[in-house]
Amino acid sequence: MNDVLRTLSEARPDELNPDAPVGHDVRRMELARAMTAGDDTAARGKRRRVRPVWALGLAGAVAAGALVAVTVIPAGTGPAGDPGGGQAVDAKTVLLAAAERADGQPDTVRAYWYRVLVASHTHTVGSAGARYTIVTREREESWMPSEPGVKAWSRHRYLGAKPATEADAEAWRRAGSPRRFEVALPIAPGSKIAKPRTVFEAGAGPVRSVRGTPMVDGNKIYWIGHNVTMREVQSLPADPERLKAELMRWYDGRGTEGGGPARAEMWLYNVAQGLVMELPVRPRVRAAAFRMLAGLPSVKSLGRVRDPRGRAGDAVAVDRKTPGGVVRHRMIIDSSTGTALATENIMLNPKDGKGGPAGRAMSSVVTLTAEWTDSGPR
Amino acid sequence: MRVTPDEKRFTAIYDACRQHVWAYAVSRAGRQVADEVVSETFAVAWRRLADVPDPALPWLLGVARNVLRDSHRADVRRESFAYEVGRWTARPAGDIAEDVAERLAVLRAMATLPEGDREILILVAWHGLAPRDAAKVVGCSPAALRVRLHRARRRLLRAADTAPGETGQGETGQREKQQGARPGTRPQVGIIGEEMS
Repeated sequence: MNDVLRTLSEARPDELNPDAPVGHDVRRMELARAMTAGDDTAARGKRRRVRPVWALGLAGAVAAGALVAVTVIPAGTGPAGDPGGGQAVDAKTVLLAAAERADGQPDTVRAYWYRVLVASHTHTVGSAGARYTIVTREREESWMPSEPGVKAWSRHRYLGAKPATEADAEAWRRAGSPRRFEVALPIAPGSKIAKPRTVFEAGAGPVRSVRGTPMVDGNKIYWIGHNVTMREVQSLPADPERLKAELMRWYDGRGTEGGGPARAEMWLYNVAQGLVMELPVRPRVRAAAFRMLAGLPSVKSLGRVRDPRGRAGDAVAVDRKTPGGVVRHRMIIDSSTGTALATENIMLNPKDGKGGPAGRAMSSVVTLTAEWTDSGPR
Repeated sequence: MRVTPDEKRFTAIYDACRQHVWAYAVSRAGRQVADEVVSETFAVAWRRLADVPDPALPWLLGVARNVLRDSHRADVRRESFAYEVGRWTARPAGDIAEDVAERLAVLRAMATLPEGDREILILVAWHGLAPRDAAKVVGCSPAALRVRLHRARRRLLRAADTAPGETGQGETGQREKQQGARPGTRPQVGIIGEEMS
């Protein structure tokens, strides 16, 4: 042990290598969190878990693992079975119909963009040989002000964890029906680096309210490939080609979620999906986003399905190869109103059987409400 | 919809330093607290972007250090660090190569050192900081840093030479109390908070 410092540097655990890549999702979340944290919340030294509203789609502290973990509903079969069967209408028809409906929605901006969503993630838990899958769910409610200088609010509740299927419930009972689940979250699909272990409680948590900071110009509250202000969201172009060009300006050759290079189209799909699901864009811009999606060749139609809440809608999707297997990014649209009901990431063919059974949804976000309102939180 | 120069600079700083900050927090107080420290550190960096020097890393690690000190008591840091070391040094029993065994011994030895020693060793050996930059992180003069590094290195060497071989191997989460009770290692003394201040 001649040079103990050299031995020490060789002994550094691989996971602490400062050159290891940061998961794109983690990066996105942390950058936005830093840039939206206000003077009155930053660096106060208390334990604090403020989640900026833009992160809602990611749902939670577990966002980092979102792509690896997933929903539990086998692809194409919702809890109540998928309605309709029938022949799938092609994606273009579905999306153009949605655009048509979105176009007809009233273009009224009120005091707050109010959104309620339920996000779920699946995780594999248990000891080797006795693994099973749990689903965790969270509810988020947010009020984003339309005017700069007004406080944003959000309310969050962890809804608990439970075994995903009856078979998982059996394995859970065999394991002694634990009320707490420990999960190691990989940073990105296929990544060997595990993030901190997180413990999920079986029971629901308390309601936590977060009163944000004043929204001034320059405060970025949403993400469309980069962080944008409410004003920027409001002034996106309503022409599909111009919208596409605007969004593509921020494409840097990578996917939005890490895991290697993704084609521009995949990227565009993910950004547009977030835009129609989450953002308070003008109805004509939402329509433009649907039209833009209709023009992407790799978007396919999956026919009528039910979302995780059991609501019927038309599903479109893009499949993406990741190191962990092919992931299907599925969006369920209510074509009668031109709104997106839910998005799901489904693991179609997990490599090495690591991502759980094929066809399992790793994560989902369900929009319950997304509308302008004049009333703030009560 | 333009990225401002501030945003551009901040993003570049984040990209260059994030993993360093995370690894630093893990190696000081375990991964349970690391994400929070990263969040807090970069929130401060964004708020005080005009103060962030170039290169930013020593400054950022200094902020992370303060965040850690302010938000987690010394005993909590020590306990979660002990858990972390347990993870690092847990290996299946059986034959392992000599150099691997040596590295494990050094890791375990490091875990027995006072927090102040550990910190300096980590900044130099794991983050590759020059003494001048490590001094900026811990807030002392470069000369003082060199002296402290020298002493920390000597204590590490002594701890590694006297550490028992394979005891405790494969067991995770051992408390430092137990490590302190092992023959030949330095007992854990309650001076960690003081050393750090």
